[in-house]
Amino acid sequence: MALLNRMDWYDLARTTNWTPTYVTEDELFPPLMSGDFGLPQDAWEKYDEPYKQTYPEYVKVQRDKDAGAYSVKAALERSRIFENADPGWKSVMKAHYGAIARGEYAAASAEARMMRFSKAPGMRNMSTLGCLDEIRHGQMQLYFPHEHVSKDRQMDWAFKAYDTNEWGMIAARHFFDDIMMTRDAISVSIMLTFSFETGFTNMQFLGLAADAAEAGDHTFANLISSIQTDESRHAQIGGPALKILIANGQKAEAQKRVDIAVWGAWKLFSVLTGPIMDYYTPLEHRKQSFKEFMEEWIVAQFERSLTDMGLDLPWYWDIFLKELSETHHGMHMGSYFWRPTVWWNPAAGVTPDERAWLEEKYPGWNDTWGQCWDVIIDNVVDGNMAMAYPETLPYVCNMCQLPILGTPGKGWNVKDYPWEYNGRLYHFGSEVDRWCFQQEPERYAGHLSIVDRFLAGMIQPMDLGGALNYMGLAPGECGDDAHNYAWAEVYRALRAEKKAS
Amino acid sequence: MALFPLTSNFEGDFVLQLVAVDSENTMDEVAAAAAVHSVGRRVRARPGQILRVRRQGVADFLPRAMRVSESGLKPTETIEIIWQAPQH
Repeated sequence: MALLNRMDWYDLARTTNWTPTYVTEDELFPPLMSGDFGLPQDAWEKYDEPYKQTYPEYVKVQRDKDAGAYSVKAALERSRIFENADPGWKSVMKAHYGAIARGEYAAASAEARMMRFSKAPGMRNMSTLGCLDEIRHGQMQLYFPHEHVSKDRQMDWAFKAYDTNEWGMIAARHFFDDIMMTRDAISVSIMLTFSFETGFTNMQFLGLAADAAEAGDHTFANLISSIQTDESRHAQIGGPALKILIANGQKAEAQKRVDIAVWGAWKLFSVLTGPIMDYYTPLEHRKQSFKEFMEEWIVAQFERSLTDMGLDLPWYWDIFLKELSETHHGMHMGSYFWRPTVWWNPAAGVTPDERAWLEEKYPGWNDTWGQCWDVIIDNVVDGNMAMAYPETLPYVCNMCQLPILGTPGKGWNVKDYPWEYNGRLYHFGSEVDRWCFQQEPERYAGHLSIVDRFLAGMIQPMDLGGALNYMGLAPGECGDDAHNYAWAEVYRALRAEKKAS
Repeated sequence: MALFPLTSNFEGDFVLQLVAVDSENTMDEVAAAAAVHSVGRRVRARPGQILRVRRQGVADFLPRAMRVSESGLKPTETIEIIWQAPQH
């Protein structure tokens, strides 16, 4: 039997809105869940998805993708890539899986909200496929690391991380809860798919795929490239929704959601991806600096996406561009110095050659971040390890939940952005974090940061042991230097050379 | 006498840190408590210089002998710990 071409029937087949008679429209689509922004059903029926795919097409393509990624894994299982990989690269995998895998699974629920509650039939169809995507991503990114669990306890955090109160996971949960778990269908489409996925998953999935291939980890490279092909499809769910909102006088509300989500995504990637690209990836395998990658793949593309859509650049764009040279250096120093509190082993990445690279990519690095690293390096070289670890908590932001930091040394510009609300003093890492919080204070005000929990006596005993226990970091899981401080030998040799001359 | 949390923003360091002091500590004692978490860890000592305490965004330092309980500082408020060369 001859089949009709897809485009001969697609629009009709997904026109699945009807006029309810047994219940009201608000009962069918509760505004709190559907986020109709006061627009009637027929306004949402104009939603025109740019990527049209049918279920049979989807299944066929996805089957091929799965077959590709799983067969590469099977073929390379005996290659001992994990055993032979640079420890910095293993840390990349551990950080990625822990922060991402269960978040992907949670995203299936967010996609399901659009699938059920959106008033736009086209969005419901795309989100059905998006939901299946996210289930696939969760499953793959739990299955792939599983083969390494017996070799390395930290790999268990691929599954475990989301159930803990580890500080980075509190930050990740706070962000994803905000943009996708506690928002209506339309806001999810703007904040998760348009802002986070269009804007930022290229960062994690394209950049990291290139680094993985360079590092010889073809299993990981194939896995995340396979995921990225789904992301690039379902990331387009938000665009048509934005067009409808703008056409119906709702630009300000749409812009606000974009601005909040983009900022939160930036902060999360500054701690997750920045250190990976500029410090963990072995020098010889680095393709671009984090800043260069951001400027080429995120800034330029996202600026175009926003203006194409009829939106403005976020009001804080200049602050964001400035932070591209700064924030992730602090996030790296923080996660390195507080390394027992993470589930991977941070690579210091500060040998003389690596510092020369950092200085070239970030002029002034040695006079700023380098000044703090000089002290850390001296302590490691001298064996003064007690001073190479912290004895207190960094103060974290009440919006992004990440340490409040800035540029140290000769460019010292560290600053708190406080705000008192209902008698409680909140602290923020930037003017933008504070602005995000102030858009809807009641949404965020009740949340306790890791420092708030410590001060409330929820972490006992009030010392490092108590904190590690609270964060769920069992012995054998706490982070330490990825290379067991082998890099310090270069500095010892330099010292000996200097002494001899 | 009560435990009093403050947020230390130490000159030359990269991050704000929680510092627990006593409400009867002087500003010199507060500076010393903050220094424990920065000097020798990520900030080099500056021999001959002293450390002064000020509120964020305020140019004047709080008097060295002033107690936390007299300062009007709020719990967790951010203080800047600034190196000061000897006055001649």
